[in-house]
Amino acid sequence: MLLNSVILVLREVLEAAMLISVLLALSLSFRQRISWLWWGLGLGFLGSVLFASLLEVITDSLDGAGQEVANASLQGLVYCLTVAVVACSQQQAHGDSPRRVMSLLMASAVACAMIREGSEILVYITGFAASQEHWGAVYAGSAMGAGIGVSLGVLLFSALRALENDRTQFACIVLVAMMGAGMIMQAAQLLEQVDWLPAGLPIWDSSGLLSERSIAGQLLYAVFGYEATPSSIQVALYGASLLGMLAAYFFARGFRSRAIEA
Amino acid sequence: MTVGRQLIFGFLAAAIPSLSLAKTPVFEIEIRDHLFHPEELRIPANTKVKLVVYNRDATAEEFESYEMNREKVIVGGRKANIFIGPLPPGVYPFFGEFNPKTAQGQVIAE
Repeated sequence: MLLNSVILVLREVLEAAMLISVLLALSLSFRQRISWLWWGLGLGFLGSVLFASLLEVITDSLDGAGQEVANASLQGLVYCLTVAVVACSQQQAHGDSPRRVMSLLMASAVACAMIREGSEILVYITGFAASQEHWGAVYAGSAMGAGIGVSLGVLLFSALRALENDRTQFACIVLVAMMGAGMIMQAAQLLEQVDWLPAGLPIWDSSGLLSERSIAGQLLYAVFGYEATPSSIQVALYGASLLGMLAAYFFARGFRSRAIEA
Repeated sequence: MTVGRQLIFGFLAAAIPSLSLAKTPVFEIEIRDHLFHPEELRIPANTKVKLVVYNRDATAEEFESYEMNREKVIVGGRKANIFIGPLPPGVYPFFGEFNPKTAQGQVIAE
């Protein structure tokens, strides 16, 4: 039971921890204050509690597709927010855009990214709260899983901060772009699960090469949205999301250079 | 005219198979005492099917499968619809993430 809880909570925490680390490193590279993190964490926690307590209603809504549609919408929102962060960061490089906007975007992205996984952890832990037999192991395991997840986040954060400032920014933007695209891929998968998107046969199977069950597979899933057996729609949407991100990046840069010329 | 209409509808039905829900086979499984019943489910290969999972336990469970790319929390005492496939012939394990020691099962596409 202890090990199960460690693994479950670690898996859920990992994705949010990676996103928070990259956004924090990006923030600091612009000498921005990072008090937005507390807003993001607080809102994310409140959102998780709300989502978990309404889970029955959400699941049964939309003909049983409610849970997937709500989660896919949140993930779509995280993608839009990461696009805005990338665009904003290019403006901010010259101090054009108020830092408050960037802080607001980052806090919202963290909050939205936390809700799905946070509510799952809450449903899991509260389910065992009544069981005398298991609750000790579940709480201890969950705390350990969360601790490992946060530690991995700190590790990524330190690695990013150890680079020179320009490189930190570049690495952060690449990572944010991939995390955003990964969110869209997961959203597509959820919509396939309730038949809102047509599911096709997987276009490849790399589970022999890198299993999603392995630690490396889990890490790559958290950072790049790695799937061993993706459908064509998932791959197409992943590519389109990266292109969208790239377009926002160059549009913001072009906008900035025009503003400097003028 | 009616022939033309039939042709159009026929074409639409063929082009948008996901809309012809009536043809999607439905399979049911139950979760009782953190076990899946049945633990083994045979479904037609290369066909989309609808899986209805009833959670008869008081506590929530998460239906999860890496191989089928599926993941859904099912509140205690409720049911959940999960569409799976089309899957190439093969064995696809699934498990209950909240009780993975006992809640194990597999889908066999054939």
